[in-house]
Amino acid sequence: MSVDSACAVELKGVSFKRGSRSIFNNVDIRIPRGKVTGIMGPSGCGKTTLLRLMGAQLRPSSGEVWVAGQNLPTLSRSDLFDARKQMGVLFQSGALFTDLDVFENVAFPLRVHTQLPDEMIRDIVLMKLQAVGLRGAIDLMPDELSGGMKRRVALARAIALDPQILMYDEPFVGQDPIAMGVLVRLIRLLNDALGITSIVVSHDLAETASIADYIYVVGDGQVLGQGTPDELMGSDNPRIRQFMKGDPDGPVPFHFPAPDYRADLLGAR
Amino acid sequence: MSEATASMSEPGVVRLAGVLDYRSGPALRKQGKALIAGSDGVDVVIDCSAVQRSTSVGLSLLLAFMRDAGAAGKRCQVRGMPDDMREIAEVYDLDEVLAT
Repeated sequence: MSVDSACAVELKGVSFKRGSRSIFNNVDIRIPRGKVTGIMGPSGCGKTTLLRLMGAQLRPSSGEVWVAGQNLPTLSRSDLFDARKQMGVLFQSGALFTDLDVFENVAFPLRVHTQLPDEMIRDIVLMKLQAVGLRGAIDLMPDELSGGMKRRVALARAIALDPQILMYDEPFVGQDPIAMGVLVRLIRLLNDALGITSIVVSHDLAETASIADYIYVVGDGQVLGQGTPDELMGSDNPRIRQFMKGDPDGPVPFHFPAPDYRADLLGAR
Repeated sequence: MSEATASMSEPGVVRLAGVLDYRSGPALRKQGKALIAGSDGVDVVIDCSAVQRSTSVGLSLLLAFMRDAGAAGKRCQVRGMPDDMREIAEVYDLDEVLAT
């Protein structure tokens, strides 16, 4: 079983396949409690899949996924439902309900998962929107919000139930510099002040490195490296160096494997 | 899990104890409302010194009790907030609201 109480989430020997294709092979990841941990890697390397494994939206082919002392793949459906209440997820798309206004979007998990009276739900919605700076937008519909505002409303909804673990799936994608700065500040503030464990899946290096206490770099179905942002920046591993420095070519080749170019153009001679 | 309670420890003092979260919140709301309605005098103190842990639900309870007191024409004061509860209140910019 999981013996390390310093970890909020622990993946032990996790493998995951889609059909016959291996996405992860015997991966070990330990997410420290109360810290911001970045999970980084090139697009398509399976970062979001990793997040879904941690949230038990996907079951590993083999291995253990420990959250709060429970191995998620072994839980019954109802126990899993309870376990998920302590996890909040900020989806890449925001995933706001387009037919509900901002208030009802944030109130939604409170209405579904609690028996709190309406006056307390209103208090909590106002508090969460105040924290993300959007209390004044409470009556707006999602299509009246900018992309950055949508992401912040989704964040308010993700923290509505005071989760102990907050997962961010590519939070910085498509955000302008101001919105990015706001999100970076919010992720750090919520983590530190509310004692949340934050997991940030991202390929945006500068933003993630600026807030993460620890980073895992994944690729090729495995953990390529781990460490503090400074440690990874100084890594000798060419695969990590290529990612951290954004080099277009290196161990991860610029060209997808292809037949000989000359032969492709002129035909085999 | 510890039991959370709202009790009148002395006249005019509503004492919150235990873990204030989504499970305990609905019952505590009813208990506190009844205690404030039944209290004599113009002052109500919400004593949080026995709170073990609080989420945003605990802060909402304090706001609800302040509204109850205000509606009954009573003055309300919050005292004894644990440090972690106070830190959460700061995230939601409630420190000044709760200090009034």
